[in-house]
Amino acid sequence: MTTYGMVIDMKRCVGCQACVAACKVQWGAPEAESRDWVVPIGPVLDSEGLVSTFYVGLCMHCDKPACVEACPSKATYKRADGVVVVDADLCIGCGVCIKACPYGARYHHEAREKVDKCDFCASRLDQGQEPACVTTCITSCRHFGDLEDPKSDVSRHLPGSHRLESVDAQLGPNVRYLAGERQWKLIHDRYAPPAPELSTPAWLLSRVARPLILAAIGAAFLGQAVAFFTQLRRGEHPIEE
Amino acid sequence: MSPSKTGLLEPHVTLDATQREELQRRDIKKHDTAVILLHWFNVSIWVTELATGGALLAGSAYQIAPAWWRTFMIAVFGSPSMILKVHITAGVLWTLVLLVYGIFGFRKYLVPTVTNYLIPDWDDFVWMKNRGLLILGKRVDLPPQGMYNGGQKLYGLAVYGGSAVIIATGLIMAFHLGPPWLVQWSILFHFLAVGGIFAGLFVHVYMGAVLTEERPAFYSMFTGKVPELYAYRHHYKWWRQYKEIETQWRADLAREAAADAKADSATSEDDK
Repeated sequence: MTTYGMVIDMKRCVGCQACVAACKVQWGAPEAESRDWVVPIGPVLDSEGLVSTFYVGLCMHCDKPACVEACPSKATYKRADGVVVVDADLCIGCGVCIKACPYGARYHHEAREKVDKCDFCASRLDQGQEPACVTTCITSCRHFGDLEDPKSDVSRHLPGSHRLESVDAQLGPNVRYLAGERQWKLIHDRYAPPAPELSTPAWLLSRVARPLILAAIGAAFLGQAVAFFTQLRRGEHPIEE
Repeated sequence: MSPSKTGLLEPHVTLDATQREELQRRDIKKHDTAVILLHWFNVSIWVTELATGGALLAGSAYQIAPAWWRTFMIAVFGSPSMILKVHITAGVLWTLVLLVYGIFGFRKYLVPTVTNYLIPDWDDFVWMKNRGLLILGKRVDLPPQGMYNGGQKLYGLAVYGGSAVIIATGLIMAFHLGPPWLVQWSILFHFLAVGGIFAGLFVHVYMGAVLTEERPAFYSMFTGKVPELYAYRHHYKWWRQYKEIETQWRADLAREAAADAKADSATSEDDK
């Protein structure tokens, strides 16, 4: 059993954006959007002096992904190897998953009219290659591999790594961060995920329309079943008139 | 017999055996061929769309059909995206056929069906109330009905309105005709329209195909005809309209026959 994950060592990241460039080239993301991003934080003056870092964002490939729960058609699903992917042929671009993801890891690809996100370069993984961002990183701060394999690069970097979670969003992200205490505080204070949200129409569909329609179908079925059994009990005359 | 001033039977008359047999033997036309074809085309499309749509709405928060249904449909069509393609193709085909019906049959079918047969009148509301009382075991008379009874009219209007919603929202979702928020609202209204019609479909199929009293209506969807006795008992107002048209037709025939006979006698006079 394989579960892919990533550890990003923030102590080594220099914010060069090479990973972002590699990803955009690989997947043709539009100018204003990207499957991953690197954002500088600080410098900020804390009790020990100035501190700064970067927030390296991408899909967290969570254990309990809110986007998968939110997707009406299961176009977004979690593969057996833990990678959360979008089936572009099935996606109708409704964007319910965009709001559901508390990490902001999804965007609407205007030209393709579909939702797009990081899938750990699933097609490269299937060919035995690593994600483009991992192979491109000039400081080798991204460690990728099978979390179930204790000898993998990612597993060797797990000790001391942090999961970016909050009280409101504990989804089990499989992208983790290695960072000093002050660096991590900066990242967590600014980018800790809010509670996953459903858009109004998706909420109405799930909480109001679905039970309403199920009740209506149930009542109609029950009504005709009662009528049918009454008819069976009564029997039919051989001559219909 | 209890004929009215026009010579037609009044509603709720107790018919004797001869009257019943005579009326039962005679069939009268209820549906044109175009309507019968459209009905069964609708059935085939609805079966396809419900089967594929049930498999597509698969998110755990929204699903209506059980999970095995999606697995079964994937086994049938090969992949979820192929199910979507079939769903969209059948939906577009349905839209095109309804457009042809709506455009070419606008005067002959669409407008007359809605205005003459689907707009409810007071009798329809009384019918719905009394039908409910009858189900509860009360002894009440049902008021005379047109070609469709109150329940059928209400469901018919819901189907017409719901179909418009289904088509509009379906096209928005299939061809991304708008921003994501519009697609999201389209999913909701597509679901509500389909779900509402589907719930009514149980009653429609039961009343049409299973319930003994209404079974002639089911056969009429193959033959286009119903026994006159059924029309008289269940759709008196329509039966009366039909009989008036028939009376007029017979009078026209008699006039034509008389004119032909006159012309023939004039010709034979000339020959002499």
